[in-house]
Amino acid sequence: MGKILRRVVMIGGYITPPNVPIDWTWRQMAAEAFWNALQDAGVAVKDVDLVACNYNDRTIADSSPGSQFADALGILPKPVVPIANACAGNGIASYVAWNAIASGRCDVVVSLGFARSDNYDAMESMNSQGNYVDFDYMLGLTHINYGAMRDAYYRNKYHVPLEAAGTWAYWCNWYARRNPLAVNYSKPMPLLDELCADTPEAERDRQATNRGGVSSAMVFVGEDIASRYTEKPVFFDVAYAFRPPYIGNFFHYPVDGMREHDMGELPGLMIAAKEAYKLAGISVSDINVVQVHDLTAYEGMMALEALGLCEFGKAKDYVLSGGMTLESKCPVNTYGGGLAFGHGSAGSDFQIGVLENYWQILGECGERQVRDVRVGVNTSYGTHHSLDVVGVVQKGW
Amino acid sequence: MSDQFPEQFVRWDTFSSTLWYRTRAARYRLEGTRCTSCGEKFFPPRTGLICPSCHARAMEPYSCAQTGEIVAVALDDLGFPAVGYGDILPRVQAIVRLDDGIHLMVDILQVSDPGEVQPGRRVHMVLRKHKREDTGAWVYGYGFVLEKG
Repeated sequence: MGKILRRVVMIGGYITPPNVPIDWTWRQMAAEAFWNALQDAGVAVKDVDLVACNYNDRTIADSSPGSQFADALGILPKPVVPIANACAGNGIASYVAWNAIASGRCDVVVSLGFARSDNYDAMESMNSQGNYVDFDYMLGLTHINYGAMRDAYYRNKYHVPLEAAGTWAYWCNWYARRNPLAVNYSKPMPLLDELCADTPEAERDRQATNRGGVSSAMVFVGEDIASRYTEKPVFFDVAYAFRPPYIGNFFHYPVDGMREHDMGELPGLMIAAKEAYKLAGISVSDINVVQVHDLTAYEGMMALEALGLCEFGKAKDYVLSGGMTLESKCPVNTYGGGLAFGHGSAGSDFQIGVLENYWQILGECGERQVRDVRVGVNTSYGTHHSLDVVGVVQKGW
Repeated sequence: MSDQFPEQFVRWDTFSSTLWYRTRAARYRLEGTRCTSCGEKFFPPRTGLICPSCHARAMEPYSCAQTGEIVAVALDDLGFPAVGYGDILPRVQAIVRLDDGIHLMVDILQVSDPGEVQPGRRVHMVLRKHKREDTGAWVYGYGFVLEKG
């Protein structure tokens, strides 16, 4: 690792509420998040040095997205770094933003993401065939099928009961009823017994709900100029790691840190967490709240284990013993999780974890507020954990 | 004419015939690659790519084992008819560990009772019709069936 010249401070952010109007174009969505995040941070458009923008490749199929982004956001001719790397691609955008500030090249950088997946009818086709290797080596098997397979493998390997998955879903829904930005905010609260049932309906309820079109943005500045914008600086760090996307490689990939694991663990997330903790100067025991990107309850538990919050196979015990609740030493998914906040893909899957932890540190989370938050950690992933990202925010005052 | 194409003919498909053609060896006979420097075996093939283990660029074709055992199983009631994989339902999907240690995610075919498909069961590869391209031509590729007993 090279020399880091200064720390990165988060000073604002924004995410669109559920049910973005169907007639909003992707340009409008991107501008909505960008504009409102700048308003939240008290930053003028002219003062933005760089935007790192993640987009869903099902939203815009074009070879020159960067200039279109810069034009839509009104910052042209300043640079935009376009990134298209699945749901967690905004973790990479945030990594770009972090580097631009930490190196001293830029003072004010925005990390932006948007998804307008209904732009193309061929979305599911691309899901199946574009995500893997040179061609459809899955022969029609999608990452949704992969998710079911991974869950089955993890469940069997570590003897995870349905009650643990149902309890995970219950607490995601409990928090979502206390988060007006969550898709499930105003829906009836499901019963724990229903969520723990061995039925296809319950299985569906233990999986993510769709957020549809969504955009979000975060504003970062250098530590040395943060006082111009805020009296409450929140430090931000981020790291990510890749894993080969083909499922078979999850059982053997000849790289240190990965060859020791199979589909029942998330080694990419472990590697990213280790680096993020080092950058932030924290250890697992310092973490006060965790937000994970969970498209299924089992996947959420795997993330807790990869973060080091639990030993492998022990997240079920953490969940069943009240580890997700506000009374826990480290509550989990206070934003509502992918299960109840909603899966926003490139539009929000990384940002919402950072934003929730940021709001937790500022004490703005109302009924879902965790006591005395100093350190929040979040995870996000893309294409069934071929990309894993970890973000850390810390109270700086 | 339509009798010859009873399945849905107009589908979303983003791949060209040339793409299917250039990847035929892997699909037809499980041809992967092996690094001649360190011996690591790979599937899908890494022809022309760099070895992640020893960082040499020296891959040669490698014929994967065509028998193995089931590691994990999941059922899919929906299939993927939009791109031509919806005609055999439910799909019985499995992770298979080949006898040379390579892992694949595949369909288990000719299953009368999905309950028979369990981790530890022996399987072997078969060549099957998978789907039609948008041109109407068949795409062939590997699938697996349970071994008797």
